[in-house]
Amino acid sequence: MSEPALQLETGAGPQAAGPVTSRIPSKLLGSLFRPPFGSPDTNRRLTVLEIGAALPETVNFFSGFTCRLHFVDLFAEPFVQAQQNRSESELRAAFEACFRFPAGTRLDLCLFWDFLTYLDDTALRAFNAALRPWLHRGTRAHGFGAHHMAVRLANVHYGICDLDTFSLRDRRGPPLHMYPHSQIEMHDMLSCFAFERGLLLPDGKLEMLLKPTL
Amino acid sequence: MFEKQKGSKESSAPEPETRTPQPAPTAAPAPVASSGATAMIGRGISISGDVTADSNLKIEGVIEGRSVQSKHDVDISETGKVTASISAKVIRISGEVTGDINATEKLTIAKSGRVQGNVVAPRVQLEDGALFRGSIDMNPGQTADARSAGGSAARPTALDSGGKPPGPSTAQVADAAGGARKEPGLTLKSG
Repeated sequence: MSEPALQLETGAGPQAAGPVTSRIPSKLLGSLFRPPFGSPDTNRRLTVLEIGAALPETVNFFSGFTCRLHFVDLFAEPFVQAQQNRSESELRAAFEACFRFPAGTRLDLCLFWDFLTYLDDTALRAFNAALRPWLHRGTRAHGFGAHHMAVRLANVHYGICDLDTFSLRDRRGPPLHMYPHSQIEMHDMLSCFAFERGLLLPDGKLEMLLKPTL
Repeated sequence: MFEKQKGSKESSAPEPETRTPQPAPTAAPAPVASSGATAMIGRGISISGDVTADSNLKIEGVIEGRSVQSKHDVDISETGKVTASISAKVIRISGEVTGDINATEKLTIAKSGRVQGNVVAPRVQLEDGALFRGSIDMNPGQTADARSAGGSAARPTALDSGGKPPGPSTAQVADAAGGARKEPGLTLKSG
């Protein structure tokens, strides 16, 4: 690892999540693991990208699978917090630096949570370009979207309790600025993915399942 | 990814419920004392180099090197700080580790633990408050394999650990846990 452990203690790095504050049901998460999308073959390694902090319940959930989990807490990256001051090429390079997976890695599952809503148009395009090389035709992604500013996103960490339940934990530090995207905008800027299923939640968020457009 | 398996022998077998991941054991910290003797690198001790232990190993001090290896268990206390790859059977981290980790049975990162590296272990447990940055490679079926193989030497990961080259000399040092000289001791390779 190239960065010193002290980075973990600085304000810019990941911080310990608070206790679980609530659990919310999900009708789509389980779809990633059940027909008609299929089911992870427990004899085959499942490669997962988690755009967030490593939480106990998420690690516990995946402990039943043969898997490799890549935790990349982009929420805590300073360049994401200061994205307005950077060009698309700079942001792409920054995302690529975060996505330095071993050669040959292909992600089966991407857990975006609400991260995409914290990226402006430029950053979303940069994110798309940096992520694309690591996808394959069978990749699936899950996330939450906000289509307008009236939708309030809580400043929380998400985790997976089980196939049908997310956990929420308070995120320390100031919340990121929101950049709501319509479904069309999202499709244009996150071009490596297309909507597979969407579900409007009572709080106005859209829970999304995405499939690659490769 | 998953449609490809439709109709295949593997994907047609179990019902969804049977695929629900088995929850890992919760709450109780992993005990770190399966082989009896425990060598200790005490608080205030700093080692530059590699460490190999035939017994359990408790680390309260600082180690900077390429590898820390034990045939049994490694316990890094809250004051412990390791910058090296770690290989052991059961590893519990309450302190700070920068480096890759290979546990042939289980890794536990305690609530005060801070880990940056790539982990290979059949089972991994994070306690509330633990900080982890890196990747986790889990294979629940591997535990039984490791046991049946007699806890054979851990496979070092090929991923970057940023470690230092090993030093030239090797020295046997006293077991700080109480002079258990009949027990396999602690081997240091100075940096």
